[in-house]
Amino acid sequence: MKNLTDMTDIIFADNLSKSYGNRKAVDALTLHIREGEIFGFLGPNGAGKTTTIRLLTGILKPDNGVVVIDQLLLSEQKKEVAQAIGVVPESRGFYNWMTAKEYLSFFAHLYGVRDDIDKRVEARLLQVGLLKRKHSMIGTFSLGMRQRLGLARALINNPKILLLDEPTLGLDPQGQEDIQQLLKKLNGDGVTIFLSSHLLNEVTNLCSGIGIINKGKLVAEGTIDELGKMTNLQDKTLTQTFLYLTSNGGERDV
Amino acid sequence: MFKYIWKKELQGELYTWKSMLWLVIASLLFSFTSYLLLTDRELSLLDQTELMLLLSQIIIVVALLIITIDASSIITAEFENATAETIFLAPLSIKDFLLGKFLASLTLWVLLFIVSLPYIIVASSGSHLTMAFIGYTALLGTLGIVGLVAFIFAVSLLLRSTKNTLTTSLITVLVLATPALFSTTLKNNALSQLFSQIDPIDNMFSSLDNVLVDYQTSLLQNWRFILPLVMFCALMFVFLVFAARKFNEEGVIKND
Repeated sequence: MKNLTDMTDIIFADNLSKSYGNRKAVDALTLHIREGEIFGFLGPNGAGKTTTIRLLTGILKPDNGVVVIDQLLLSEQKKEVAQAIGVVPESRGFYNWMTAKEYLSFFAHLYGVRDDIDKRVEARLLQVGLLKRKHSMIGTFSLGMRQRLGLARALINNPKILLLDEPTLGLDPQGQEDIQQLLKKLNGDGVTIFLSSHLLNEVTNLCSGIGIINKGKLVAEGTIDELGKMTNLQDKTLTQTFLYLTSNGGERDV
Repeated sequence: MFKYIWKKELQGELYTWKSMLWLVIASLLFSFTSYLLLTDRELSLLDQTELMLLLSQIIIVVALLIITIDASSIITAEFENATAETIFLAPLSIKDFLLGKFLASLTLWVLLFIVSLPYIIVASSGSHLTMAFIGYTALLGTLGIVGLVAFIFAVSLLLRSTKNTLTTSLITVLVLATPALFSTTLKNNALSQLFSQIDPIDNMFSSLDNVLVDYQTSLLQNWRFILPLVMFCALMFVFLVFAARKFNEEGVIKND
């Protein structure tokens, strides 16, 4: 795989495709994400963002293409890849009869954590602001608290890479700010973050690189400035650039 | 890794009172049957061995039905509650996942069997068949439940829906129970004889009859009934392996 992917790529997808019936959800997608980056993945509803994350995590099998995560070929080293990544998926099911602490302990065991589980679980709950609710049943949690718990679960194995599908969805502004600060801190500690989001200001605040997907195809990739230069618009904000790039059938005409 | 899945299932069954409810239902059914056997004028005239046979059949049928209902949702609930995606994001193999769930279903059978023990002991008191009654109900019940759970898990992985899995499993149990309802005349028919010889539930009942009514208590005297049950288990395990492979090929998310 080393001849396909640059050594600085921590996530590499080559010619990734997935169809549902006749509809191409992801169409020949190629991605290079460098180590230490916060990569924002934008796209309208149904553009293929969630499918891409599922393909990158191995939850969904691609029709075509390869995924390399941290120099590990996903199709052959799924367990090793699972140890390297933390994921907040789109579908957020929880065991409502468990307490927050039991839930994280269960996943810590699944990830093979054996020592100081309580200490690690409490550290993650503290990180997401749920330590005081560690003995509360998840069934009593609000949507925002579930989002935080999902993020704590994604961090339980101390991952090198975080793949987040709308991690601040349903959070109030303070909750969004808290998560953004946490993501910045994690990135400062060396964690690479792949962030799928609808919130353009969130992406502007956090991301060093941005990819825009439309109708399954990656229509643009680069920094905010580079994306702005791809359009003839006067207003080169991310919002205007995003609307421009996704309004013409996903085909870039610049 | 499977032990954490097993522990989670047991914890879930206890917290949600699901298992407790099943155990209460089972003990009520056994108590009701025992009450009828003792108080009903015609039933109370039954020979003790006939009474023991009837009770053993009721224990096995109740256990098969309860395990069918419980096992039909133990895997599919992970898909329907959207927890399958998070659980398989962890480095967990399908083998560990299935083994953990399997042990949880077998634990419920063990608990049901423990609930039935006082009834077995009372029904067989004064008879020399108490140990044979306990041993054969445990052996035949375990073989039948292992095969049935393997079938239910395979269907769960293929259909990924509680409603469809439960319907398929209940119909299958009913079909397998049919030969036990055949009249003696019908059993003379070659086709129904063949069906009876390979049918796991009919073989369980025939073996219990052989032990409790005909006093044929050694394993050698029952091998012709136990062998089809072992074959049933082996066949269902092959089906489960096929379903697990298909699951690995399709991925955790089948359709978006």
